[in-house]
Amino acid sequence: MEFLSVLDVSFFLLVGFGTLVGIIFGAIPGMTATMAVAVCLPLTYALGLNNGLALLLGLYVGGISGGMVPAVLLNIPGTPSSITTTFDGYPMARRGEGEKALRICVIASVIGGLISAAVLFLFAPLLADFSIKFSYVEKFLIILLALSVIASLSNSMLIGIFSGVIGIWLSLIGDYSISDGGNGHTRLMFDFMEPYLFEGFSLLPVLIGIFGISTILLEAEKGVKRDVAGERVKIGASGRFSLSTFKGSLTNLTRSSFIGTFVGMLPGVGGSAASVLAYTQEKNLAKDSSQMGKGAPQGLIASESANNALTGGALIPLLSLGIPGDATTAVLIGAFTLQGIQVGPLFIPENHETWYIMMTALVLANFVMFVLMFFAIKHIAKVVMVPKHILYPLIVMMCVVGAYAINYGIMFDVWTLLIFGVLGYLIQKIGLEVAPLIIGFILGSQAEVYFVKSLESFGTYSIFFTKSPIALVLWALIAASVLFAIAMGFKSRARQKMELSQMHTPSNTTAGKRHDSTNG
Amino acid sequence: MASDLFDVSIDFETSHLFFPTLVHWILGGLLALILITKVAPFLAAVKRGERALPIVSESRDNLRFFATLALIPAYFALMAIVGDLFPYTGYGFLFVSMAFVLCMSLLYLHDWTKKALVIVVVNAVVAPSLAWFVLAKLFTITLP
Amino acid sequence: MLLSRKTLMNVSVAAAMMGATLGSSVAMAQDAQLRGNVRVVIGSTSTGGDTYQNASIVVDRLAEHLGVNMKVDAVGASSAFRTLDRDSRGNTLMIFHDQSYLGHLYGVQGYDDIFEKYTIGPTIAINPGNAYLVPMDSPYQSLDDIIEAVGSGETVRVAIQPGGVSEIGFSALKNAIAIEHPGQEDNLVAVNTGSQSDKNQQLFDGQADVINGSVQANEQYTRLPESDQKAMRFVWLTARQDTIEQAPEEGLGQTTRDQLLEYVEPNVTVTMGDDENFTFDKEFFFLYNKEMDQGIVDQIDEALEAIYAEGDIQEAQLSAFFIPDFKPSQEASDYLQEKMSRYQEIIDNIN
Repeated sequence: MEFLSVLDVSFFLLVGFGTLVGIIFGAIPGMTATMAVAVCLPLTYALGLNNGLALLLGLYVGGISGGMVPAVLLNIPGTPSSITTTFDGYPMARRGEGEKALRICVIASVIGGLISAAVLFLFAPLLADFSIKFSYVEKFLIILLALSVIASLSNSMLIGIFSGVIGIWLSLIGDYSISDGGNGHTRLMFDFMEPYLFEGFSLLPVLIGIFGISTILLEAEKGVKRDVAGERVKIGASGRFSLSTFKGSLTNLTRSSFIGTFVGMLPGVGGSAASVLAYTQEKNLAKDSSQMGKGAPQGLIASESANNALTGGALIPLLSLGIPGDATTAVLIGAFTLQGIQVGPLFIPENHETWYIMMTALVLANFVMFVLMFFAIKHIAKVVMVPKHILYPLIVMMCVVGAYAINYGIMFDVWTLLIFGVLGYLIQKIGLEVAPLIIGFILGSQAEVYFVKSLESFGTYSIFFTKSPIALVLWALIAASVLFAIAMGFKSRARQKMELSQMHTPSNTTAGKRHDSTNG
Repeated sequence: MASDLFDVSIDFETSHLFFPTLVHWILGGLLALILITKVAPFLAAVKRGERALPIVSESRDNLRFFATLALIPAYFALMAIVGDLFPYTGYGFLFVSMAFVLCMSLLYLHDWTKKALVIVVVNAVVAPSLAWFVLAKLFTITLP
Repeated sequence: MLLSRKTLMNVSVAAAMMGATLGSSVAMAQDAQLRGNVRVVIGSTSTGGDTYQNASIVVDRLAEHLGVNMKVDAVGASSAFRTLDRDSRGNTLMIFHDQSYLGHLYGVQGYDDIFEKYTIGPTIAINPGNAYLVPMDSPYQSLDDIIEAVGSGETVRVAIQPGGVSEIGFSALKNAIAIEHPGQEDNLVAVNTGSQSDKNQQLFDGQADVINGSVQANEQYTRLPESDQKAMRFVWLTARQDTIEQAPEEGLGQTTRDQLLEYVEPNVTVTMGDDENFTFDKEFFFLYNKEMDQGIVDQIDEALEAIYAEGDIQEAQLSAFFIPDFKPSQEASDYLQEKMSRYQEIIDNIN
């Protein structure tokens, strides 16, 4: 514990301050953890290494966690990795259980964060060696596995898959980037679009456009009436939070945290794939997952523990390979170079003190996040009581800021908001599904690079089956996921039929439903 | 040999079209399936009068819907134009946001009471100013 | 304060606009100066990368010296060029490196001839780290071994990022093989891949025999024990000997300057024919809108001249493992154009 002697009060204050600012950034739709770290990076030069890291790690943990707030309360993912939090969080908020949902999220977050910190501390070099066993082929299969959630996520499998493929298609617009090893040619667009769309649509503006702006359009269409959700927050006695919600969730929590850590540590895959994958696995493996997507706590637990577990995971390749695991850790590299410290396979052995200090900051940030959030939730949850005529213009305004700032000032990103806002509106009107589409969009471009590069290297499709035992395990998981989705599809169709036949005898309906919910 | 069946060679110069082509085929196949199994029965139902077409034959608050659709592009466009007059100061965002927040609040406000109007106006001035000050000034984020 | 600022801005904007419309007269041109808020866009999207670091070292000092607000934004090459195209008032400047013309030489979509389309500003620094590495247990002990092996018909795969800085060393190597072992150069094969982690991964997977990397990113890998599958060795640094000699004596990490000098000419040479050897220094420089007033070009030249004369900036650059390299605008433009034509030859030769 020698290293503790170099720490002073300012270190602890900076962790706390960083976490708080991070939460605020994450909680504003459109502002992300990456942005929080990026804007505060210049400050670290004056702070010195230890204090600088304290601030940045606080921002990182806070930023990732803060994303849950708009995801649950407004149905807008605050950061791309909280996308799956909207699936169950918003339905709960609509039932007046926003506060409960947030509390579940906070607890899942802190557990995910701490598990991943422990994994980072104990196994970083070991896991780094394991992670380099994942070549393009295995990474493609991971993406495919995450994509397989689309099949089970949607009401109609056919429509869901179709929406997902549209999402993939949209993500391919733009150039086949040379920074991914592509040839830099643009495709899927007309020449006149090139000045705007050369790099394609950016993820964040797409996300907040399709969730945020389209929600506002749908509301405007209905005349922006006052609804009762605001008042319901107070009365829903059943919506009160108790720790018993977590009963039976231990497996889910652990599994999701490990998935988050693991996906976080694969360079290039990181980020949003983590929570999607954790969500998929919970959906597939849980005893009863029929309520997932309609407001089930287990979905929140999977999503939030996985996305906070990203933090520790993404630091593994950074500190033991010198390679960032996600966008935020890529910015973090700047902090090290600013201080003249190299990150690479020898970072931990050569910078013992810094390593312990980082771990302290990371663990501390998780606790601070927990305390800040858990006690602030009661007040945060009141956001839904702000009248819509005040709230909506502000959402649009903050979406604009986020979209404009995400790539350091590109006006086209703001227009992307509108394009995808309108698109999101139309999609929902004609009965396509938003969630599969957005998952397709998030994972599409990675799927392309890994798929095409695998084939370029090996020249045969069979490589996806013969590359390694890891590939076979991944195929087994993909197969299980798809089979499960099909089974679920049949079950729900049977249930629909049953309910339809019971329509004629209404007295039986409630009994039928109860029967459903117990049998799932 | 089975392995020959799976062999593939990708020309680097055209590799940007390899995956999109694949996606097009899948997309086309799925679309055909959907047209047959979902859209055709649906349209038949519309013809029989059992179902209504989306968007076209729905009731909506036309004023608020179309005003929103006009207000947002106007906001984005004006922000860029005004912002260009004061390069990289964020004034484009600041002033146009004030106007936008005011207009949209008024549009969505149902009962124009004096109290509500005061809140709307104060909010329209304070919120963009606060956002501008914190982001553009404290964090030196580039705004339009 | 807000109001006074605003009026001030108004006046300055009006002045700038008048300057633009009346800009043809020389007398007016000399009055044009940087004013208000200035944004420096860079050709990289990373705020952890070398372009951002270099830009911020220079821009911070420039802003202080000139007393204007300046900010570096990592918008990426395509957006940076586009933003620069739109603003001739001098509120937008750009900093990028040799990629800006190499992209054009390699015919990458979105790269125009910068010497035609923009005004070239001063150069500011060199990143001397561009390197080629092999696995620790590779049969190739030196770059000469590789050239010989390829010359005798062996296939050697090199992982690079296509279309620029990462490819130019590969092209030069191919060119050298074509000169020394005519007809064998196609045995040197490019494995087109992306980021540094992708290139490393190709090496770990055994999908590449040589990778492009950098001293900064790969130095620690060269110090791993041979038993570690991640261990690598440098075989070639593309920088000039003269450039590396200016690096701090302690080098980078645990690798000293003297050790680094083993991988540059005259110890490692890549011929370009006619007794000339290929070298490549990754240089960072300003790019301006063609229509921007000459007054601003001169102003920045003079300011940087004064900053570099003070000597404090060199320390900052050296401690970040960059080599200070200031050339005023006109000199930089001539120098870079000459540099481009040398590389043009290489690329023409091997195609």
